[in-house]
Amino acid sequence: MTDTSVSRVRMTGISKRYGALQSLDNASLDLKPGEVLGLVGDNGAGKSTISKVLSGAVIPDTGTIEIDGRTVSFTSPADARAARIEMVYQDLALCDTIDVAGNLFLGREPKRRLAGVPMLDKTLMHARARDMLSNLGIVIPDTRMKVENLSGGQRQSIAIGRAASFNPSVLIMDEPTAALAVAEVEAVLELIRTVSKRGVSVILITHRLQDLFLVCDRIQVMYEGRNVAERRIEDTNIEEVVNLIVGRKFAARSAGHPAERSVSA
Amino acid sequence: MSAEPNAYAGHQPRMREATLLDRTIAHGGVMSIALFFIVCCLFFSVTTNAFLTAPNLLNIVRQSAPLLIVAAAMTFVITTGGIDLSVGSVLALTATLSAASLQAGIPWPVAILMMLALGALVGVIQGYFIAYERIPAFIVTLAGLSVIRGFALLITGGYSIPIEPTSPFVAIGRAWVFGIPAPALIATVVLVIAYIVFNETHFGRYVTGVGANAEATRRAGVDTRRIILWVYVLSGMAAAAAGIILAARLGSGSSNAGQGFELDVIAAVVLGGTSLFGGRGSLAGTILGALTVAVLANGLILSHLSPFFTPIVTGFIILVAIWLNFRLFRGGARGR
Ligand SMILES: Nc1ncnc2c1ncn2[C@@H]1O[C@H](COP(=O)(O)OP(=O)(O)OP(=O)(O)O)[C@@H](O)[C@H]1O
Ligand SMILES: [Mg+2]
Repeated sequence: MTDTSVSRVRMTGISKRYGALQSLDNASLDLKPGEVLGLVGDNGAGKSTISKVLSGAVIPDTGTIEIDGRTVSFTSPADARAARIEMVYQDLALCDTIDVAGNLFLGREPKRRLAGVPMLDKTLMHARARDMLSNLGIVIPDTRMKVENLSGGQRQSIAIGRAASFNPSVLIMDEPTAALAVAEVEAVLELIRTVSKRGVSVILITHRLQDLFLVCDRIQVMYEGRNVAERRIEDTNIEEVVNLIVGRKFAARSAGHPAERSVSA
Repeated sequence: MSAEPNAYAGHQPRMREATLLDRTIAHGGVMSIALFFIVCCLFFSVTTNAFLTAPNLLNIVRQSAPLLIVAAAMTFVITTGGIDLSVGSVLALTATLSAASLQAGIPWPVAILMMLALGALVGVIQGYFIAYERIPAFIVTLAGLSVIRGFALLITGGYSIPIEPTSPFVAIGRAWVFGIPAPALIATVVLVIAYIVFNETHFGRYVTGVGANAEATRRAGVDTRRIILWVYVLSGMAAAAAGIILAARLGSGSSNAGQGFELDVIAAVVLGGTSLFGGRGSLAGTILGALTVAVLANGLILSHLSPFFTPIVTGFIILVAIWLNFRLFRGGARGR
């Protein structure tokens, strides 16, 4: 790339092994400020794992992460949150028995002091939760409802609202639209456009390839824990992306080494 | 995002304001134990003459203070999805050691602080293995139950150690303040603090979070291992406080005290609607559950049944109460 500005995120040489399985093998990822990166690949390609490395939820065996040019080492999700990296996890990571507002604010509940003792400020929490949800156009009747009583799409909306509402500088979305209805998918894509215009860098993981072409600047394809291809969105099309994801499987089996080559288009 | 206006506009909102009945069902666990508690009290008031008298009722709260205190701490433990089986042994160890240290001439306030510190230390050790070494709480605290009881027996040789009746220490168990027994007063203070911590603080919120989805809570930036360690420190300290109160009330420390105490405590917590699977806890329920266990024990004795009936009846009633709880008040939560 000819872009000279400092990358918001630069991950290089990231490897992670789970027992016998090499989940990430010298993977890398580069993200400019305000850029929307589509991360695609087969099931089990390592998309979730590399994004969890960036969100601090998984600690890699090797590799370096730079944020805005500074090398960081995240030992916990708290560190990544402090660096303003927010993630919508594929499994949503919600606490079922806690209410909507409690899940939105989990880990950063507003405090009030009662006789010097810090306590949860529930009133403020619910008021701000209502604002957060309505700003994002998310319809939840009552922020006091427990999350277990919400529909799959509503739960997904809560997870998205939580990640998007605390002024992130990097927003990672791991299949954020899997359970959403048409209008809600549109709203998420719109949200991605708005936040990226404000300079937020976004990583979007999705199997809905048509969505990638609506919001992404660039697409990165992963295969068995490695990066296998990268395309500017204007230089590619859906058939090529499909072939990069699927076609490699057969190429790799015979070649043993998935060298990057154009399959079609 | 526009839609056909006439088809979608003006429909009734599907959510109505939560009615009293909705809220009752949402708090089903607490409501059913409250009901059950009242039924037990009414039953014993009718069937025995001695139950509904001021001295007996005060006696119940005095005797149930250790149970209430430890059950409050156990509510935190169980809400994280854990369990602490060692509380009866910690109670016995601190009861004997407080008697022994008073005998050795240690001033009583120092003895109390030492016992609370000992309870906390036991909690730190068990909590370390559970939170940081990821050994199941059941295993760790089962080992603790055995080891700690063993220490208590070893120290006393199986005898009980008397406490000087003139020592101000015994006041903790026997004094009356404003017409209320001191242990009941201590228990009340502990319960109020526990209630506030459980429902109104960040710590309490994360205890529920750890039980509901530990990984999600960790990903939200919470140090979940520290939360888990702390709940065992709390239960260790609560058991130590219970041991002190018991020794003070009985005027001696016995290494056989608190056999099966952990089961009463767990029964009280579970009767109160706290889920053994974690994520759902109720301190109000625990208080009612502990009082129910205490009332049952007391009422059965007053009914002149053989004392050996008590564990049988208590066990059955707990099973039935929890079964009813599951059946009747499953609402609020999704059936699963
Ligand atoms: N905690 C874990 N323990 C063991 N193996 C794991 C763990 N997490 C991931 N893996 C393995 O690592 C590989 C990559 O998983 P990952 O979740 O990153 O895939 P993915 O690209 O997100 O796939 P999908 O599209 O299905 O979500 C998989 O083979 C998975 O089995
Ligand atoms: Mg995934």
